Amino acid sequence: MYLTKLQEKMLVGEKGDAIAKLMKLIVKIGEVNNAEKLIPIKSAQIAGVSYFTVGDSIFSFFDLLLKDKVKVSVPSWLNPAGMDRKKWKTMMISEKFAKKQFEIIQNYEKMGIKTTLSCTPYLIGHQPSYGEHLAWSESSAVAMANGFFGARTNREGAPSSLAAAITGLTAYYGLHKEENRKPDVLIDVEAQINHPADFSVLGYWFGEKFHGLIPFFSNIKHVTIDKTKMLASAMASVGSVAHFHIQNITPEAKTINQKAIEEHIVFTENEKRKIYELYDFAEGKIDLVTIGCPHTSLGDLKLIVSYLKNQTLKEDVEFWIFSSNKVIQSKAASSIIENLENQGIKIFADTCMVVSPGVRNNFGNIMTNSAKAAFYLSRDEKINVKLLQLEKIMERVTE
Amino acid sequence: MRIIKIRPIVDGKVEGVAIVSPSPISFFGDIDSRSGVILDSKNPLFGETIANKVFIFPEGRGSTVGSYVIYGLAKNHVSPLALVANKAENIVIAGAILAEIPLVDQSEEDVTAIIKDGDIIQIDTEKQLLKIKEKEI
Repeated sequence: MYLTKLQEKMLVGEKGDAIAKLMKLIVKIGEVNNAEKLIPIKSAQIAGVSYFTVGDSIFSFFDLLLKDKVKVSVPSWLNPAGMDRKKWKTMMISEKFAKKQFEIIQNYEKMGIKTTLSCTPYLIGHQPSYGEHLAWSESSAVAMANGFFGARTNREGAPSSLAAAITGLTAYYGLHKEENRKPDVLIDVEAQINHPADFSVLGYWFGEKFHGLIPFFSNIKHVTIDKTKMLASAMASVGSVAHFHIQNITPEAKTINQKAIEEHIVFTENEKRKIYELYDFAEGKIDLVTIGCPHTSLGDLKLIVSYLKNQTLKEDVEFWIFSSNKVIQSKAASSIIENLENQGIKIFADTCMVVSPGVRNNFGNIMTNSAKAAFYLSRDEKINVKLLQLEKIMERVTE
Repeated sequence: MRIIKIRPIVDGKVEGVAIVSPSPISFFGDIDSRSGVILDSKNPLFGETIANKVFIFPEGRGSTVGSYVIYGLAKNHVSPLALVANKAENIVIAGAILAEIPLVDQSEEDVTAIIKDGDIIQIDTEKQLLKIKEKEI
């Protein structure tokens, strides 16, 4: 691989041990993927924040990095943590966990990383631009950056995105290159896809069937950024899908000759129904309703309020919504949040049901509208998940 | 004894018992970093541990914090002796580099088909070879 003189120096340790290890990581990934060079990135989005997922192993990595006082060299921000920074006690998070979690966040902060603690940077002022090279790592944000915004990022590993944030570099391969961004499969969406949950079911189906491939979705109507994030997150978690095309939405989609796509397949009502049926369980008490995978936008919150109509939440229902701190703190959200909280709904920032032990450790029967959340939560054998459209969820929990 | 050629990614020379996952692995979610135990109830290896074994799997998938799970396995002294994938992607590569666990991929054959649980595996990255000594029944 071609390296500049400066990059060589970084690799052999002239800029310190930490930089050398980070460069080794980037270069090795590049070599394995036949990259001819490294390229500068515009921003980095860093996963590996929740103490629940990274555990204590991350602290030895921090020690290595902070010993050399490394700092990020491009705008960089963090994925969700394992708890709400203010309301962690309400989430039933232990003192010990909270202490470790704050420590992790502070360590990242020392490196100059913004503590947005969200999986949806593109909803809170960090929309990538067309053609920009990025090093993002949250799998749903990666797919959104590529498929919705037309920026270019591979699925960076949590440590490789941190390595990229600090060095400002990533290897030039995969989705950074034009020729690797073409669709592999054309999906003719025959089924009715209206609700955010339907988008997430479509993504689940594609991810399971076509692991790692790039879809081109035709015939989807009423596409919004909030519905697309549901599609992207399910494809990314179930099938490692990092890029997608949606007709009339994806900037590159108009350059694609649909007839030239080798494989064509129809997504039918039957397929849609089968995915919903995967996540169902015999009627029993629902312990928790949880929305916000990926993090809810202001629009998503408004939708929940609209489904509440003039009804009230049943008394024994525990209802947790996850969003970004930025959305929750926004002026426009204040009356919506007040409305939801008056109903007994809890709204948490900085975390989500997938990465917080507050959900997994305390609830058995969980209802959600996100196929990604269903996919991850149901891996825990103590947890049963029911996947439903938000509208149907609200019908069940209000009176 | 069967010998196949592999591509070394993280170097090492190891010998150990194989544990073979037929399905792709999301290190986050599928593996417990404190014990090395496989948590995915849909995986036939459910409940078994990859600690101190040669872990054979088709490829990585799922959340990118999987790299830290691999790093965590090493820090908790329950890491596999080596990782053998049909295709190593960057979650697995980054994890193996940080954790310094030997990692190889790109055999001409499907390693998850030709290697069986309990086979004795020898890996020599310098020679780019992987030896399979079938389990005696």
